[in-house]
Amino acid sequence: MENSQEQKKYWLSLEQWKDDPEFKKMAQNEFLSTPLDDNGNAGEEGWARRDFLKLMGASLALSSFGCVRRAAQKIVPYAKRPPEIVPGISNYYSSAFTDGEEAFGVVLTTREGRPIKVEGNSFDPSTHGGMSVRAHAHILSLYDPDRVKGPQKISNGHGKDIQWEELDKKVVESLKQGTVALLTGALLSPSTQELVKTFNKTFGVEHFVWEPFSRSVVAKAQKLCYGKAVYPRYRWEKADFVVSVGADFLGAGFSATENTAQWSRRRRPDGDMSRLVVFESLMSLTGANADDRYRVRPSDYVRVLMGLAYEIVVAGGHSRFANDSQVKKVLQPYATASEALGFDPQVFKSLAKELWAKRGKSLVVVGDLPGQSTEALSLQIAANFLNSLLENDGKTIDFATSPYVGLRSQGNDLQRLKKAIDDGSVKTLIIHGVNPIYSAPASLGLKDSLKKVNLIVYTGDRVDETGAVSHLLAPDHHLMENWGDVEAHKGHYLVQQPTIEPLYKTRSFQDSLIQWIRSSGGSFSEENWYHYLRAYWKKHIYPSFAKGRTFEDFWIDVLHKGIVFDESREAQNHGSRPFLSSAWKSFSDRAPSKGPELVLYATSGLKDGAMANVSWLQEFPDPVTKISWDNYLCVSYETATKNGWKEGQVVKVSVNGQTVEVPLHIQAGQHNDVFGLAVGYGRTRAGEVANGVGVNAFQLAGFSEEGPVYSALPVKVEATDKMIPLACVQGHHSMEGRQIVVEATLNQYRMSPSANIHRHKIFSMWSKHEYKGHKWAMAVDLSACTGCGTCMVACQSENNVPVVGKKYLLQGRQMYWIRVDRYYEGDPQDPNTVFMPVMCQQCDNAPCETVCPVAATSHNHEGLNEMIYNRCVGTRYCANNCPYKVRRFNWFDYTGLRSPLHLALNPEVTVRSRGVMEKCSFCSHRIVQAKNRVRNEEGRKPDKNGRILKDGEVTPACAQSCPTKAIVFGDMNNPMSKVSLKFKEKRSYSLLEELNNIPSVRYQTKIRNTKRSSSHHQQDGHS
Amino acid sequence: MIKRDALVLGNKTYKDISDDICRLVETVPGGKYFSLLFSAKALFILYIVTMGMIVATGMGLMGVNSPVGWGTDIITFVFWIGIGHAGTLISAILFLFRQKWRTSIARSAEAMTIFAVMVAGTFPILHTGRPWLAYWLLPYPNQRGPLWVNFRSPLLWDVFAVSTYATVSLIFWYIGMVPDLATLRDRAKHKLRRAIYGMLSLGWRGTARNWNHYEMVYMLLAGLATPLVLSVHSIVSFDFAVAQLPGWHTTIFPPYFVAGAIFSGFGMVVTLMVILRELIPGFKDYVTIHHMENMNKIIMATGLMVGYSYGSEFFMAWYSGAPFEEYVFLNRAFGPYAWAYWIMVSCNVIIPQTFWFKWARRSIPIMFIVSIFVNIGMWFERYVIVVTSLHRDFLPSSWGMFELTKYDIGALVGSFGMFFFLFLLYIRTLPAISIAEVKPVLSIGREREEHHG
Repeated sequence: MENSQEQKKYWLSLEQWKDDPEFKKMAQNEFLSTPLDDNGNAGEEGWARRDFLKLMGASLALSSFGCVRRAAQKIVPYAKRPPEIVPGISNYYSSAFTDGEEAFGVVLTTREGRPIKVEGNSFDPSTHGGMSVRAHAHILSLYDPDRVKGPQKISNGHGKDIQWEELDKKVVESLKQGTVALLTGALLSPSTQELVKTFNKTFGVEHFVWEPFSRSVVAKAQKLCYGKAVYPRYRWEKADFVVSVGADFLGAGFSATENTAQWSRRRRPDGDMSRLVVFESLMSLTGANADDRYRVRPSDYVRVLMGLAYEIVVAGGHSRFANDSQVKKVLQPYATASEALGFDPQVFKSLAKELWAKRGKSLVVVGDLPGQSTEALSLQIAANFLNSLLENDGKTIDFATSPYVGLRSQGNDLQRLKKAIDDGSVKTLIIHGVNPIYSAPASLGLKDSLKKVNLIVYTGDRVDETGAVSHLLAPDHHLMENWGDVEAHKGHYLVQQPTIEPLYKTRSFQDSLIQWIRSSGGSFSEENWYHYLRAYWKKHIYPSFAKGRTFEDFWIDVLHKGIVFDESREAQNHGSRPFLSSAWKSFSDRAPSKGPELVLYATSGLKDGAMANVSWLQEFPDPVTKISWDNYLCVSYETATKNGWKEGQVVKVSVNGQTVEVPLHIQAGQHNDVFGLAVGYGRTRAGEVANGVGVNAFQLAGFSEEGPVYSALPVKVEATDKMIPLACVQGHHSMEGRQIVVEATLNQYRMSPSANIHRHKIFSMWSKHEYKGHKWAMAVDLSACTGCGTCMVACQSENNVPVVGKKYLLQGRQMYWIRVDRYYEGDPQDPNTVFMPVMCQQCDNAPCETVCPVAATSHNHEGLNEMIYNRCVGTRYCANNCPYKVRRFNWFDYTGLRSPLHLALNPEVTVRSRGVMEKCSFCSHRIVQAKNRVRNEEGRKPDKNGRILKDGEVTPACAQSCPTKAIVFGDMNNPMSKVSLKFKEKRSYSLLEELNNIPSVRYQTKIRNTKRSSSHHQQDGHS
Repeated sequence: MIKRDALVLGNKTYKDISDDICRLVETVPGGKYFSLLFSAKALFILYIVTMGMIVATGMGLMGVNSPVGWGTDIITFVFWIGIGHAGTLISAILFLFRQKWRTSIARSAEAMTIFAVMVAGTFPILHTGRPWLAYWLLPYPNQRGPLWVNFRSPLLWDVFAVSTYATVSLIFWYIGMVPDLATLRDRAKHKLRRAIYGMLSLGWRGTARNWNHYEMVYMLLAGLATPLVLSVHSIVSFDFAVAQLPGWHTTIFPPYFVAGAIFSGFGMVVTLMVILRELIPGFKDYVTIHHMENMNKIIMATGLMVGYSYGSEFFMAWYSGAPFEEYVFLNRAFGPYAWAYWIMVSCNVIIPQTFWFKWARRSIPIMFIVSIFVNIGMWFERYVIVVTSLHRDFLPSSWGMFELTKYDIGALVGSFGMFFFLFLLYIRTLPAISIAEVKPVLSIGREREEHHG
């Protein structure tokens, strides 16, 4: 009505034509009669009709919530569906998963407009389609019910909904006054960086970048040693011999998915198998996978490296540093490092010999949380030195395609920020992508400083620990709702596509910045973030990859593949860099410590705790301890025995003036003077799932000039009488001399490929099943498997496997369809650790099938053992009779998910009701899908045996996500299929072969590249 | 010639017998009876509430888990089914062997069978995840294909075995009661009572023809019921023996289970008879110490058989050389559930040895205590078989523990409530001793006495 000047005006009555104010008022009233009184209040009856209608509307909206989210303005009936969406058919979109300073390509599966699954992107050369537990769990964080629904004003830790306009007004007002600081996590997105730079320039912002797991010390050491700060990329696939000192590069360490994918390529016993030696204090996943493993204190890590260097340079007289007097002087104190650390002197001598022999093809890695002691810088320098003298620099240490060239975090930026606040030079603070109140050490006192800031704007998706001390909450989109890009390695660009219309009234951080620049009068040519991103790509990335294509063609291709990189760059040889002797000036080493030390470590599930409210991650058992839903103080077996401590006993841990009470876990293979405590737990404001689970170990960290100190913290541990039971999903840790995981050394394997496998003579009265068409089978290579557990969460996501929680895990009610068993062998002080993924073995002679009284589990013509949920009455006889114990029972009704978590359910897989049995199906729905897909293809007809699928056309979720490709799935009736070839390998065996169940899953012996003997399972002596 | 003990004491006449037994049905019971009845009823209500909550919420309320998929429900099911066996043995096998002393206890022993099977029958249904669909275990023509049951599954054999057992026992019990029901009808003073007992007595006239047919049918039914004593528990044992699980997969199970069933059944009969003798002192003339001693002898004999089975299992575990089997048995005796195993051995093998002594066999307090121990021991036997085999089987990664929850306790204790409630109702509504069978044996053991008198 206001713009009546521009438009023709049609009128209904003279009053309207006259624009009578009386009429205007009346026209705005929808109803002429109202039960409200003149002041708009409800009558005496209670609720007014309007309130009732509002409530009705709200509840209707709530109850109907969960349908496809469509753009608000344009509503299109589904009869004319968008051309790319076919109900019942999944769509796949390339995207990127960013987790702290780590990123890799993923493919998002969407159904009817909602993402339901994350898969690896096989075009990504760093992961080859491998995945991580966290990348899978990412889908659930999108549908986290505890996310805020829109912008909020926060007072006393409680948010109140406001409009974006109101928020923008307040923010811009404050921004205009200057003295603005921006605190972000690492920004791996080149276009976001550009935008942030513009923003910073507009408002004169001081930018602080901080991550709890900052690796700035790596860059600093690189600068000291080689003159240029880079984050080197480790080329595991080129390394014959890897020595890790405290680095958990396969588990929770930096870039573990890429590391696992690349390292495992060299772990095939038939090829040129690499060797891994680990020095560490806790039992990490990397240590569990080591060929040889030694226990040292974190404060002794430097001495290990220097001791090795001494043996090579001084004692061995090798390398170009052999005649360098300065180096000799530095190394001299480490002449007896081996003995000082309590090892046989031969250990260092032989390792040094081996390292020298493999020079140029070896790799020494340090770092991650256990390496973040006060000597972190010295440790990095020592490692750089070792790699330099071993001529690894430029070969296995790739400094040219350094990873994650994004805006990297600085470990000490929080100290700088605090100082800036205390100096009064921050009036407005914008916090994005990091939760410092939770993850900063308590000793920093950041919380008190923040009180001095006039306006804190936080872009988190909930009023969490940092949100509670902020004033305004400007919630960012979830990554899956937002456009983005990542420069994963130098010249590796990943694009992140939104796969769902934002669920709530959130706004991307980038759009917020653009809005604030605009509102304060700044000019901005691009309409919004999406256009900005495209413009950035057109200007900066497209030219180097154009190859004669238009930008649109290039862009479509990038979106399709999700990644663009220059292959030739990978292969380039950049030579090695000279090691600057000035670096030794920064090298320091303290006297060996005697007292107990605490190491704060990360778990591969929770890591920094940002995704702690995802139930899959809380339920996911730590790959080594196999404990879920808690953090706990890891102590060695000997220390626990000496002090009379019991598993689950609560202890008081005092460090840096902080005390926490945690239950105790006795961990095999841990150093006796070292205690371990995981960070990422103890969230107080993350949401229903995470709140109150464990204690916040970040609070215990110290601070040095390099940033937080997580390792070698002097600690006091006192036992209490309290007990907290720990939910360990594995009840027993020894194989009891049974042939379960067969292990052999590389030498044994080379002499006899079926080494250590005890084959049983089996005869049967019955003839075997005949499978005419396909016969599905799975091979699991235990040499490749690192036990990371990605398959467990992949399966959980694919098959709608419920989470049961700590109380029921303690009762043995876990629901995982695939589990990773972890066994220790030998001395609990220094055990050999093996892993074994166990899923339904799809036996030909399945013991479960014969005992079901209602025939709810039966055999199909392709060798699958099928579970018919709606026929099952739940006698659980099948589970009792299954020797692999892979069957899971729905003890309660697990279908009642908090909305909108049910949106993450896979519609291809039945959600099981209470009282029925369930188990791994070899992803039978994928087999059906694949058959349907190829039947529609031209010229595809089943052959005379009814076989239609080619090798590799079906992959179950576990095999697809496995970063090591340890799981191979295929058709046994195809003699050339990968799985057939795997089955024919001499090191293949069936689990519990003597029972003659004839499983369709076969395992390949775990081969360790070590000289230690491994023949434990031959002791049982049965025939 | 050895003097036979009198089967009925107190110089009864035929009328005395009818009066003694019918009086229970014809008079209003005293406070002692009602206090027992209401205690049993309270437990029965506990049972109904427990089971109702489990059906409403899920099996997860009980202690069962992975790997221990069967727990209290199956343990208690086997326990009650076992209890039932003594009744059939007394009424059918001892009848065929012309054991006259069985007459006074047969009726109640068989009632015990019926009630025990009723209680037992509720457990397998309620232990399923979806009890409302448990009828799918019955092979009936249906419109699902038709979709039939899996005839290879021992659980299905169980359905047949238990339902046959329940049916035959019920008919046998009822047919045996017909002449006595007619007696009650004839004595009834109230119309309604006469009508009810009249209907139940199926028009019994007591003619020679009636008796002729009756005895024929009774003998045939006894013949029919006899194999059931052996078959039912053999088939129940197949639930375990046919499985692949070490500790279950043994050929000794059928005879071992039958012996155990008779053992536990006689234990329960002794318990009940001691209670009955205390509750109704008049019964002491019918259920004499001599009867009790006979039953104690059977308890001792079967207890020895059970003990032999325990030993033999260990021998086979060692002799077979199967490592999983060896482990299970060592784990039973010395593992985390060793306490249960040794409770079982003490109660079932060691304690019944007191019955080597005649004074012990004839002492009411001692036999009561021993019979209670036998009941406890036999429950633990099934506990040991079910739990200790499941909790540690092939793959150590999946080993676990089993703990009873309050719902397990509720179901177990409550099932005794159901049993005793039914039993207590029975003794005041039906003739608890067979009038028709006791009268013919009245003379045994006292003929000479009468000559003198």
